Amino acid sequence: MDTIFYITAAVSVFATLMVITRHNPVHALLYLIVSLLSLSVIFYLLGAPFAALLEIIIYAGAIMVLFIFVIMLLNLGKETAKQEKEWLKPRIWVGPAFLSLIVFAELFYLIYTSVPETNSAIQTVDSKMVAVSLFKPYILAVELAAMLLMAGVVGAAHIGQHKKSNLHRFLKETDDL
Amino acid sequence: MSGNDFFALLPLLVLAGSSVLIMLLIAIRLSHRIIQRSSSFLFLIAFLSIFYIQKVFPYSLEPLLIVDGFSAFIMGLIIFSSIVVNILSYIYFEEKEESPKEYYVLLFLCTLGACVMAVSKHFVSLFLGLEILTVGLYALMAYLRGRNKSIEAGIKYLVLAAFSSAFLLFGMALIYLETGSMEFTQIAKNLDTIQIPSTLFITGLGMMLVGVGFKLAVVPFHMWAADVYQGAPVPITAFIATASKAGVFAVLLRFFNEIDAFRYNQVLWTVTFITIATLIVGNLLALQQKNVKRILAYSSIAHLGYLLVAFIPGNTLSLYAVSFYLLAYFICTLTAFGVITLLSNKVGDAEDIDTYKALFWQNPLLAFIFSVSLISLAGIPLTAGFIGKFYILLAALQSGFWLIALILVITSVFGLYYYLRIITVMFSGNKIKVAKDVNPNPIFYATSLITLFILTLLTIGIGVFPAGIMRLIEHLIR
Repeated sequence: MDTIFYITAAVSVFATLMVITRHNPVHALLYLIVSLLSLSVIFYLLGAPFAALLEIIIYAGAIMVLFIFVIMLLNLGKETAKQEKEWLKPRIWVGPAFLSLIVFAELFYLIYTSVPETNSAIQTVDSKMVAVSLFKPYILAVELAAMLLMAGVVGAAHIGQHKKSNLHRFLKETDDL
Repeated sequence: MSGNDFFALLPLLVLAGSSVLIMLLIAIRLSHRIIQRSSSFLFLIAFLSIFYIQKVFPYSLEPLLIVDGFSAFIMGLIIFSSIVVNILSYIYFEEKEESPKEYYVLLFLCTLGACVMAVSKHFVSLFLGLEILTVGLYALMAYLRGRNKSIEAGIKYLVLAAFSSAFLLFGMALIYLETGSMEFTQIAKNLDTIQIPSTLFITGLGMMLVGVGFKLAVVPFHMWAADVYQGAPVPITAFIATASKAGVFAVLLRFFNEIDAFRYNQVLWTVTFITIATLIVGNLLALQQKNVKRILAYSSIAHLGYLLVAFIPGNTLSLYAVSFYLLAYFICTLTAFGVITLLSNKVGDAEDIDTYKALFWQNPLLAFIFSVSLISLAGIPLTAGFIGKFYILLAALQSGFWLIALILVITSVFGLYYYLRIITVMFSGNKIKVAKDVNPNPIFYATSLITLFILTLLTIGIGVFPAGIMRLIEHLIR
């Protein structure tokens, strides 16, 4: 168990270092996904399969896909196709692929050998326990998190909104700043 | 949750509900005027509800929150400052280029976040409250998004606040690792079973101090303060200087008192060092500033230092002193920023010190209000600030912290210089006839002026008769 933890930890540290040293945001995001995947294996090792799944579904799945789509949409242009071909050189994707292969092999090994409760120090937290604690003692925290999201959404909506201006540029008032 | 739980949470529920309500009002396209008035009204209800829930104190909602006298006092202060900020906002934003409606939703949410921190006794609620506050503040600081200074303030705060939140979370994780709990009383209980705290625990406490220090802008984590104060819209600057600090300070006080953190020498020395550095640097940096908003930024850093002086003894008297000083500081800071708001125009804020030249001859009432608030910030007798400082010195000296008390007195003298400099500027210069520009919102201008005048009267009133307020605080905190 310990060896697997250290391998995963090394993978996640390495992947995170690669995230902050890449020049191209898409390449950085590829490594970020690997880093999140290895984190989810660590969660699994610690006896929290539900948190591990959430990590993959929410972070590596939804949020990362959103990121990549935004970056792709921002890059639209004629040269994009050529650029993308250049980006897809094996040099680029082999690193993240190799790292995720390591993580995958570990996960496979873990599930295949699944030792039934040898380590009594680790208590498995399943989805029911998570749900019960979220909806019983921590219900207020869940509701506060909703207010937090609302603050984020309202703020982003204001900062991001476009001002509609139908005026011709000669007709524009010049004294607005 | 039972009915009593809802009752005890009434102020928070009102705030959360009003943010949604205001959003609905925006959705049906009501005017700025109506939205501002209804949000003032809702803030007032939230404020009054604190008096209404008094009879259930202390009430704890396991495991996250506790509503007791101290937290109610802090909540009252926070909501009170939100009311004042809200009143000042109308004339500030009415003439600006942005539609000011979402502003009120965010103001409610920020107030909610600060109040949650004031009542929290658990790391989870602490962190959620802090994040609600800061996420709201990012948008509020950059609210005038066409202005470079505003955007700069927002980005700076975003990066630094996210960074300091990471410190805070890591510190919490280390403390959880060592004590096995995230609830303050439980942490204290588990600490008593361990005789000597491990290095990890002290490290965790230190990292939490870093995170909290950033939010409070104490030296050496104060770098962002001046730029953010300068760039943010004036009412928001007032909110940052008052409400956001009070929430963080209240939860820090509760946590440190609960676990009695000052029995560990490392923590005591760290906080003492931070206090001394804050007192000296905050006051010295303000001396050479030419921008009134920046002067007030450094002055708020220095005032946080004064509050820390009262915080170090960690006994009941220091609770009283902190509560009283927060009240005095709130009133005069809100007044000072209120005057800046009233003098600001469509193009820019009245932040350059030359704008205030001969203000006394042009607008004696505003100059008087501003002078009183600055005198109170400087801590001159017959104002609330003096009594507040007196209590702080009392708290520090009674527990034998001579050195800090001495530094407080010396640095207050430096403080006098830059406060009085603004006042002398207001009296200098000749009486020039300025063509009075017609105010587009006379009613709101008058409302704001009356609010500021009442605050000024409060400053003097509390300075002359502090006993009533002190009795109220003693009654609440006990």
